[in-house]
Amino acid sequence: MWRYIVRRLVWVVFVLLFITLLTYVLFYVMPPTDPSILFAGKHPTPQVIAQVRKNLGLDRPFVVQYFLYLKHIVVGDQYGWPGLGFSFTTGKAVRSLIMEKLAVTFALSLGASIVWLLIGVPIGIISAIKPGSVYDRVGMGFALFFVSAPVFWVGLMFLWIFWSKLHIAAGTGYYPISQYGVFTWANHMIMPWVVLALVFAAFYARMVRGNLIETMSEDYIRTARAKGISERRVIVKHGLRAALTPVVTMFGIDFGLLFGGAIITETVFNLQGLGLLSVQSVNNGDLPVIVAITLVASFAVTFMNLVVDIVYAYLDPRVRYT
Amino acid sequence: MRGSRKGLALFVLGLISLLIATACSSNNGGGSSTQSNAPVTKGGTYRSATSSFGFVGDFDPVGEYTAVGFSYYQMLLRTLLNYTGEAGAAGLVPHPDLATDLGTVSSDGLTYTYHLKDNIKFGPPINREITSSDIKYAFERIDSSSLVAQYAFYYDGVIQGMAQHSGPPRNISGIDTPDPKTIVFHLTTPTSDFPARLSLAATAPVPEEVAKCFTKPAGGYGNDIVSSGPYMIQGADQMDPSSCSTIKPMSGYDPTSHLILVRNPNWDQSTDNLRKAYVNGLNMSIDSNVDDIFNKISSGSLDGSFYEIPPPTVLQKYSTDASLKPYMHIDPQNTTYYLSMNLIVPPFDDIHVRKAVNWIIDKAGIQKAWGGPATGTIAGHIMPPSMAGLGTDYNPYGTPGNTGDLAKAEAEMKQSKYDPGHTGKCTDPVCNGVILLNRNEPPWTDAEAGVVAALAKIGINVKARELESGAAYQTIDTVKTGAQVGISMNPRWGADYGDPNTFAQPLFSSQALIPVGTSNYSMVGMTSAQAKKFGVTYPAGGVPSADSQINSCLPKTGQDRETCFQGFDKYLMEQVVPWVPMFWANQVTITSPTVTNFAFDQFTGFIALQNVAVSNNASP
Repeated sequence: MWRYIVRRLVWVVFVLLFITLLTYVLFYVMPPTDPSILFAGKHPTPQVIAQVRKNLGLDRPFVVQYFLYLKHIVVGDQYGWPGLGFSFTTGKAVRSLIMEKLAVTFALSLGASIVWLLIGVPIGIISAIKPGSVYDRVGMGFALFFVSAPVFWVGLMFLWIFWSKLHIAAGTGYYPISQYGVFTWANHMIMPWVVLALVFAAFYARMVRGNLIETMSEDYIRTARAKGISERRVIVKHGLRAALTPVVTMFGIDFGLLFGGAIITETVFNLQGLGLLSVQSVNNGDLPVIVAITLVASFAVTFMNLVVDIVYAYLDPRVRYT
Repeated sequence: MRGSRKGLALFVLGLISLLIATACSSNNGGGSSTQSNAPVTKGGTYRSATSSFGFVGDFDPVGEYTAVGFSYYQMLLRTLLNYTGEAGAAGLVPHPDLATDLGTVSSDGLTYTYHLKDNIKFGPPINREITSSDIKYAFERIDSSSLVAQYAFYYDGVIQGMAQHSGPPRNISGIDTPDPKTIVFHLTTPTSDFPARLSLAATAPVPEEVAKCFTKPAGGYGNDIVSSGPYMIQGADQMDPSSCSTIKPMSGYDPTSHLILVRNPNWDQSTDNLRKAYVNGLNMSIDSNVDDIFNKISSGSLDGSFYEIPPPTVLQKYSTDASLKPYMHIDPQNTTYYLSMNLIVPPFDDIHVRKAVNWIIDKAGIQKAWGGPATGTIAGHIMPPSMAGLGTDYNPYGTPGNTGDLAKAEAEMKQSKYDPGHTGKCTDPVCNGVILLNRNEPPWTDAEAGVVAALAKIGINVKARELESGAAYQTIDTVKTGAQVGISMNPRWGADYGDPNTFAQPLFSSQALIPVGTSNYSMVGMTSAQAKKFGVTYPAGGVPSADSQINSCLPKTGQDRETCFQGFDKYLMEQVVPWVPMFWANQVTITSPTVTNFAFDQFTGFIALQNVAVSNNASP
């Protein structure tokens, strides 16, 4: 198993290397805007543009820039380790920028994922146990609605209903625990968590329902029942174990993907996370930030893939890695 | 599946009931209508939000070339001359700020001498008196190319000894500081708008002991600006300037989250008659959701907006509700939005075509797409009324209701060589497929259809191309790529300060034509030699020039200067016709009832933060 993990980690490094190279190449082949001109202000004379270019380190050949970038990641730069440079837009160290935004995105993703598991999986289970009943219909109605409803609409509706009209929810914005305490932080996160979770919950409810119904019709379940095991044990110990393994895989991937940032939720609720930053940096041609976010997002996905595969091995004894 | 559908129906029914219940619950839409007859209150904080700071120079005054940056500097910094922070032409007249008076000019116009007031000090943590050397140091920073002073062109080649050089700030021979209270500028050539150039933030005094630590990359000083004005960045007093390694960014400024300004204890109001400084501070936070910003203003958790144009729903709400109207402030900026025609691209190389385009465009329709009359006044000529003073009366291509006049357009087109058959339509093959460049965001995208349709009426069938704003500007400010674009909708131009030449030389002189980064998007005055150098085709009919007209106005001062530039505006509109001016922009600022004094700074084109007053008791 350890050999397998090490091999996978090496593979992760290669993937990340390739992605940074691709990002750099794309930036030079199809730049959204030349940042040297964008940051030269209203009257970009050739001298100013040349100065800006030098300031941003874009005057050196592409290959040199790329190797310098890799070198800084490994050994660090004047801002610390890993050396991710400074943002063209704000002059801030990318490293601290990413850490701040990552904290927000992480809080949003973790909270939302817990909520969507807590909502989606039970609904799916209940619907599967009692197919065709009222619970099933309402559950699947909920699922259909929130799978179809666009996230921005749900977000804006929630803000309008629960904040603007009923005044029971806190407003937009991110309130870090260190400054405002856990209660205020959580109070402002509840709505974004729920809004983001609802889409996934709906999807997971349907998936769990489908998987569980299919599993419950397997022969070994009939055997278990025939052996006299209580229905509850049959479902939990035998049915769920098989039905949830695909859910674990999906969860890992979904959670990893959220690190690219839940852009819409972040915008609607004014959470300054990675999603919002990625859109802004692409519009501004902010290369160091773009590459850094791509790195973080790719790492999250590939790492979560690895975690999920390992968990899978524990859940399903038939899967063994060499 | 039937089960799901029934469940869905039940669910949606429940949701709708909830929606109806909340919609019918008591509305408390905006603030209660306390009128703005409340007395001006001192204290409190102006709480505002913006979707992004939009700085291009990292907020370092040496290079920050944005009007929003200038607005914050009006609270933070003082310059030799500055403005009163009011609306209208009076707000564009330079007054003495750090200087005791408007300065003495030698008879040959080459030497400017200023004396500094007493008791003017830097804010914490420097706390010492401001001297003429500190102002000279600001100019030295402008010339150090690694600090990227984006408007150095106002000083390089104008002040003797000033020219960009790599390397750290060094002495400038053309600036003398005979004593700590006197500064003398020696110019290379008479420059009658030189005093106005001393109002720009890059010339504000800078303490060398702090700024010398920020050399690479450029912009670092923006995190540790030492105040010379009524306010300082929060946390400035905690900054430790004893050595470069102890200097940390001031906590009150985080470029991705907030800018908080608090009172500068060293500012002496008796030395400053330009700034009222009613509020105890400013709290500007980043809010990515623009609708949310305006919701917070109407709910009272924010006091007012900053530069964002209110969304159309908000504009409509405030325009139509009598109780809300007093909280919507509409002020003209010194900005023109326009269609730029490229004089070297057929069919726009023919003046009759350009005149026909001016006749046909439906400006009223464009204004509507933009958000209505609140967003701007329809422009009849190039310079906004606040500059040079030609008002709304002069409208050489005015049509009833400003919707365009087909008959007049056709009459003009018939005289064009691109309409050989005199049909009133552009029939030459070049009239088809010429590119119209636009931005890819509203309201530009909303106005596009009207422009395309109008041009089609006179036979100019354009291909519209939409680009992100920065990319669009880059296309037309690069001569070679700009030559692919016949007509462009994306530009707007705002004056840097109140002199009418800011709407002349950079936009219409042949000197302003440089291969990359020109603002003369129409290519006015291009010579065939220049065309050869830039690698573009020179039209057979030549390109009209405005150089001699500009040069005749430059030496003039006072009313003569204004009259001369008024004549220049008319010359452009009638003999050159490079643009279709669309409208003169208004800045619309929404405030909440907590604002007891609203002021508009004509110089920056936004709310005068240094003169606003609020009745909240919030601390910054």
